[in-house]
Amino acid sequence: MASALTVVLPGDVVAQDALPTGTGKKKTLTLGPGLRHIPPNTVTTTVAGTLVTDNRKNAALVEYNSGRYTPFAGDLVIATVNGSAAENFNCLLTPETPPAALPHLAFEGATKKTRPQLPPNSLVYCRVASAGKDQPPELTCVDPSTGKGEGLGPLKGGMLFKISLGMARRLLAPKSELALLDVVGAKVGFEITVGRNGLVHVDGGNVRTTLAVGRGIQEVDQKALGESGQRKLAADVLKSL
Amino acid sequence: MVAPEVTLTQLNRADGSAAYTHNGYSIIGAVNGPIEVQRRDEQPEEATLEVNVRPSAGVGTPRERHLETLLHNTLRSIILTRLIPRTLVQITLQVRSLPEEDTSTGVNTSLTLLPHLLHTAFLSLLSASIPLCTTLTSVLVAYPSSTTKSSTPLLSPTANELLRAKPIRSTHVFAFSGDRRLLLNESDGKFSYEEWETACEMAEEVCCKEEDQGGVSLGDSMVVDGAVQSQNLEKWLREVVRRKVEYEQRWKSAT
Repeated sequence: MASALTVVLPGDVVAQDALPTGTGKKKTLTLGPGLRHIPPNTVTTTVAGTLVTDNRKNAALVEYNSGRYTPFAGDLVIATVNGSAAENFNCLLTPETPPAALPHLAFEGATKKTRPQLPPNSLVYCRVASAGKDQPPELTCVDPSTGKGEGLGPLKGGMLFKISLGMARRLLAPKSELALLDVVGAKVGFEITVGRNGLVHVDGGNVRTTLAVGRGIQEVDQKALGESGQRKLAADVLKSL
Repeated sequence: MVAPEVTLTQLNRADGSAAYTHNGYSIIGAVNGPIEVQRRDEQPEEATLEVNVRPSAGVGTPRERHLETLLHNTLRSIILTRLIPRTLVQITLQVRSLPEEDTSTGVNTSLTLLPHLLHTAFLSLLSASIPLCTTLTSVLVAYPSSTTKSSTPLLSPTANELLRAKPIRSTHVFAFSGDRRLLLNESDGKFSYEEWETACEMAEEVCCKEEDQGGVSLGDSMVVDGAVQSQNLEKWLREVVRRKVEYEQRWKSAT
């Protein structure tokens, strides 16, 4: 695995043959974060990391695990309410960034009469509705087509833990299997919510479980534990409960 | 020339950081960004850059302000400020220690420090994943004024070497981008145009990779870890990034 990595530095020109060629329906090349297109057909990198290409989706991106979270439309994030304005909650995705707007009516079942009351510092699990460099990000807690929350909404109880952005991506990936969570989850009940902005919310019903699970996730992240390491950690976590 | 030692992302609260040591100069750099910018500094179409240089002892003086201006202008040209408009990128550089002989070499001490500050700032930006349009490498060249023997320029001299070659006639700092463009030049002292040109060529040789080796696969080059002896700063930079990537990807190979 480690030998096949293509390490790129900012400003490197990605060779034409390193990019996936369009097959079938998806003819246009999609460029993910870290890549920049200079017309007519030069692609250069803007950050340091590894070049990842996906032939099936005809996409290329630079994978990196450092720096601050930048919102993209469609990301699931945990936002902290900072205050309430006339029609929006002002939420923070990362500290010291311009606030993101979460409309009062963007909750499941919210109407003009029954709008949710969220005091400052409460946590909301939401989706980034729109983001771009030219306007502040906008958040939503409902699916625009169905009007249902689908698991999004205010987070109650539990505690927030900081993890790296790469870890958050890993947990949110469709086929993510963290041995730690499997083993611990078989014995005790808990609920975790992962935000793309490097936050994980753990609710274990009681303080002891919450802390044990949250710290366990952080340890897996920091020490980059593999499967066997995670099983060992899970045993330690279960012993401490 | 001994390659500088670097640890990336050493501070866990900053968005990006680098601890840098080379020839007795030790600097910690931290980058926060993109963050919210104060209204009066906000630029509608570009990111604002803030550079703070803190000396190893005491508070900042006009010398630090001068260095900040130089860094600000150089870094602005490599950061893609238009991709992150109306935000602030804050760079703080704390000088931890200087070589003992630094003040007694008789050359402008802000010039001897400048390449190290540039490297630290660039590496911190890399660590913070701020969008950049190119890489940056920098080097110091000094001409000793010896009347007897032909004066060969010193390339990236240590403070001790400068002290021994005293008196120094002229010192030059060059910074190059990855595509061999000259980003910054600061020269001090008496020199002819030919001397400057020689110095510039020497610096370019060290800063940028040789053209015939372009596109070297990273797997086979530089397997020596720890004491990396490299003649080329571009190679050194790639090695630093390779280590960063390996550190970030280690969970994939962990058992």
